[in-house]
Amino acid sequence: MGNLCSDRDLPFHPARHSMIKEKVKTGIPGIDNMLEGGLIPGRPYVVSGTSGTGKTAVAMRFLLEGASAGEQVLYVAMDEPPNEVKANMESFGWDISAVYVFDATPDILSYDKTPVRDVSTERKVCTFKAIAPSIRRTSEKGPADITINTVQEILKQEMKVRKYTRIVIDSVTSLRRFYIRTSEEYLALQSFFRLLSDLGITAVLTVQLPEVPKPDAESLMARGEIRLHKWFDGKGLVRGVTVEKFRGSSHDATMRPLKLTAEGVSVRLTTPKKRGEVKKAEPVEQEPTPDAVQQTPPEEVKAPVEPAPVAPPAQDVSQPEPPPPDDNGTPGGGEAT
Amino acid sequence: MDQMLDGGLIPGRPYVVAGSYGSGKTTFCVQFLQQGVRQGERALFVSIDEPPAELRENVRFLGWDVGKIRILDVHPAAKAYSKRVSLVEVAAQRAVGSLRDARADAKTESMKQMSPDLSPQSLQLMLKQELQEVKYSRVVIDSLTSLKRLSGEGEDSDTGIMSLLRFLSEANVTSLIVTDLPDPTVLEPEMFLSRGIIKFHRLMVASKTERCVSVEKFRGSAHDSLPRPLTITKSGVAVDANKKVGKPILRMFQAVPVDFR
Repeated sequence: MGNLCSDRDLPFHPARHSMIKEKVKTGIPGIDNMLEGGLIPGRPYVVSGTSGTGKTAVAMRFLLEGASAGEQVLYVAMDEPPNEVKANMESFGWDISAVYVFDATPDILSYDKTPVRDVSTERKVCTFKAIAPSIRRTSEKGPADITINTVQEILKQEMKVRKYTRIVIDSVTSLRRFYIRTSEEYLALQSFFRLLSDLGITAVLTVQLPEVPKPDAESLMARGEIRLHKWFDGKGLVRGVTVEKFRGSSHDATMRPLKLTAEGVSVRLTTPKKRGEVKKAEPVEQEPTPDAVQQTPPEEVKAPVEPAPVAPPAQDVSQPEPPPPDDNGTPGGGEAT
Repeated sequence: MDQMLDGGLIPGRPYVVAGSYGSGKTTFCVQFLQQGVRQGERALFVSIDEPPAELRENVRFLGWDVGKIRILDVHPAAKAYSKRVSLVEVAAQRAVGSLRDARADAKTESMKQMSPDLSPQSLQLMLKQELQEVKYSRVVIDSLTSLKRLSGEGEDSDTGIMSLLRFLSEANVTSLIVTDLPDPTVLEPEMFLSRGIIKFHRLMVASKTERCVSVEKFRGSAHDSLPRPLTITKSGVAVDANKKVGKPILRMFQAVPVDFR
């Protein structure tokens, strides 16, 4: 029910074509480069990948980038307890003590009839500095109940307390699995995305993918998706990152090599690897392209079953070159109204 | 193996051990418990797939230490025969015996009398009772896949597993959750909730069975990114972290395998 008005009614003005003044840096220069400067402020984004690809690390860099500029940033822990997140990030040598954290990890369920209390009365947002090294225990009085509604309430309340500019939900997969009743899954998730953009926070939501990714609701709803990949290239493990979708901005369509080391995450700005040049088409909101990583021909996959000597066509089978993305550079915008 | 994990597992966290049958998962898990026993820790093996007596037979070659591993028998053998009992009753009736005590006639009459309604929920209750009595620091659950099959699918199963893993970390035990290799198109909750995944593979390469192991995910620690060859010997599973697996095997890893089995 917005105002009916189209661009054609208005005289051309360059300002309208650069409505996005400043982008939000992700904290990983290589990824910022791929995003032509960074994310568009105030919109929700997805960082996806299979297990062990570095989603949490990428998300945390995004928060630290804001924190180092004096912004207030919030981490919502949904599957890993904050004490462990803290220890893990410290192993990269990162100081995350200034990051605010809301521990939304679920309690142990007690299967007898203890009264369930609302989580917002039980847990408060604090900084990582205040997180104890041991895990939070489920209250003696019984578990606290968390649903997507309570998480939304807490976010709204918290925004009144502090003006957060960046938020990470780690992971939205848990949010979907454990906090939403299946019957209302899609609607609830959509309203959650809506809330995030209404609050005007730049949000990064991590999504855990199964080994063979399927198109999923989060990726459709998000304004952009950064996907992390890992696979074996016949010699060792290779990691890469792609921008699967980025509304309202042009972006890099090439997969770039990603490094996950003791110092954290980094993405090189160039592509020295042949394999890394697999171009990815970007049919936004159509059936997502099968992941380049997993796109290797089926013959090869079947090979292990045969007792005969394995001679898969392997590396030489190049992917059919997908058509170049046609929506690059088209200012989309408009979703975050 | 510890070399691959840059020193070992991080204490107090739950890990997933996934692999097809015959890939060495159970042996590896028993060795993990045995290592704990050697260091004077308490170790618990939750057996769902195998009756304790058989397990004991199978791992006897690992040495006298296995006698000290405590074993929680939740083997559902007698399920078909009898009436249902409530969760709490199951928890109350389950007995923990050490591997040494496990006799060949492990299925006692009393066990046949009841029907274990086994699920992540009831297992959590059993473990709670167990942990109140004995302070375990290492726990193996073999296997979660069976547990899931027994308890049936559904929304509750996911939250039950979430709660079970949470319970294990709050109890500060380092746990190994054994599962089958998952369907790659399905995201199992234990896979993203666990802090690490160790995968055991059994592959046919040129008419010969080859085994190898890989660390798929390990939060908060560096780890080996390559699969390494694994051999099952008289003294258990052995991993050579300095040796590379053969080219043909590596090539299989190249694609994300749809089915190893």
